[in-house]
Amino acid sequence: MNLNDLIAIDELCIRYKVELTFIRSLSESGLIEMIILEQKEYLHCDKITEFEKMHRLYHDLNINLEGLEAIQHLLKKLKELQESNLQLLNRLNLYE
Amino acid sequence: MEFIDYYKILELDKSASQANIKKAYRKLARKYHPDLNPNDKSAQARFQQINEANEVLSDPEKRKKYDKHGKGWEHAEQFEHAQRQQQQQYGRGFGGGRQQSYSGNFDNDTFSDFFEQMFGGGARSKGTGRSPQYKGQDFNAELQLNLSDVYTSKKHTLTVNRKNIRITIPAGVENRQTIKIKGHGGLGIQGGPNGDLLITFNIVNDTKFKREKENLYTTADVDFYTAILGGEITIDTFTGKVKLKVKPETQPATQIKLKGKGFPKYKKEGQFGDLYITYQIKMPTNLTTREKELFEELQKLRS
Repeated sequence: MNLNDLIAIDELCIRYKVELTFIRSLSESGLIEMIILEQKEYLHCDKITEFEKMHRLYHDLNINLEGLEAIQHLLKKLKELQESNLQLLNRLNLYE
Repeated sequence: MEFIDYYKILELDKSASQANIKKAYRKLARKYHPDLNPNDKSAQARFQQINEANEVLSDPEKRKKYDKHGKGWEHAEQFEHAQRQQQQQYGRGFGGGRQQSYSGNFDNDTFSDFFEQMFGGGARSKGTGRSPQYKGQDFNAELQLNLSDVYTSKKHTLTVNRKNIRITIPAGVENRQTIKIKGHGGLGIQGGPNGDLLITFNIVNDTKFKREKENLYTTADVDFYTAILGGEITIDTFTGKVKLKVKPETQPATQIKLKGKGFPKYKKEGQFGDLYITYQIKMPTNLTTREKELFEELQKLRS
């Protein structure tokens, strides 16, 4: 794993002005995946978009962790449905 | 440029209190927030309208100005200019307060021309009350390509924010598929990672083939006699012509498969789908008297 791709959690706390407990709660709920290296917690930079989304929903829209979990689940389902819909639309071209 | 009814956008009447404005805004923001409406451009546009309406109506100064000029907003600037001069004499400037507006890493995060004209480009409360950002903004782009262009992997040069990016589009990319070019979005903030460039492809079919994923479909005309007696026909594939043996007594709409003659499989070099050919049997027309007699003879043999 490339260390340059990892962002230390305490750095995130400073940048996003959030408590460490908030990030840990996201991780415990399975909403983001934390990486622990030599007892230090990190977030992979590819996951930062997901973290920012959770942060916006939590802080801007006042959605609590349980709500975030439900939203995450529904968004996953929506994504699957959108992909399936796209495949069907592409398939529909066969009959036009 | 048209007048924008901010009250209508927030589903409020003109007498709405600040508390009601806040409530209406929060309710609508939860409904149309782009994080909750992925790939929905209409929701994103609505969310921007809601943000803009809130920016104006939740700021008493801006709301006052908006209410005062209403549909006559085009003359607001002249009017305000005169008023500003008057206010400056008393050491007061005209300025809006900073209000909370919801944020996000979204494209086209801009207000309408109407807003810019009425309140000026610097009137937005961007940066205040919004979620802080560390990662740069993701850029979304659409690229239109012909089906024949994506049969092979090709290099393309794209211009993003006046910077040329050379990318390789892998063969077999699908219509409306999105690929991510890491780090080619907006610059990271205070040492944060750069955003990504997300390219969605619109594939226009410029061929006579129909495509579903890695398989191609086409039809081939087979004359009646070849269908009955068997023979050989030449058909077009994506890469050239091939000769096919037609079995005797081939039925209409028979489908045959040419293995490996379809479209390349995405990111699986050297692997191809199949080409499906449906035979269309062409019946003879304008029969001569002699031909009719022979067909009648054949019919008698069968009855």
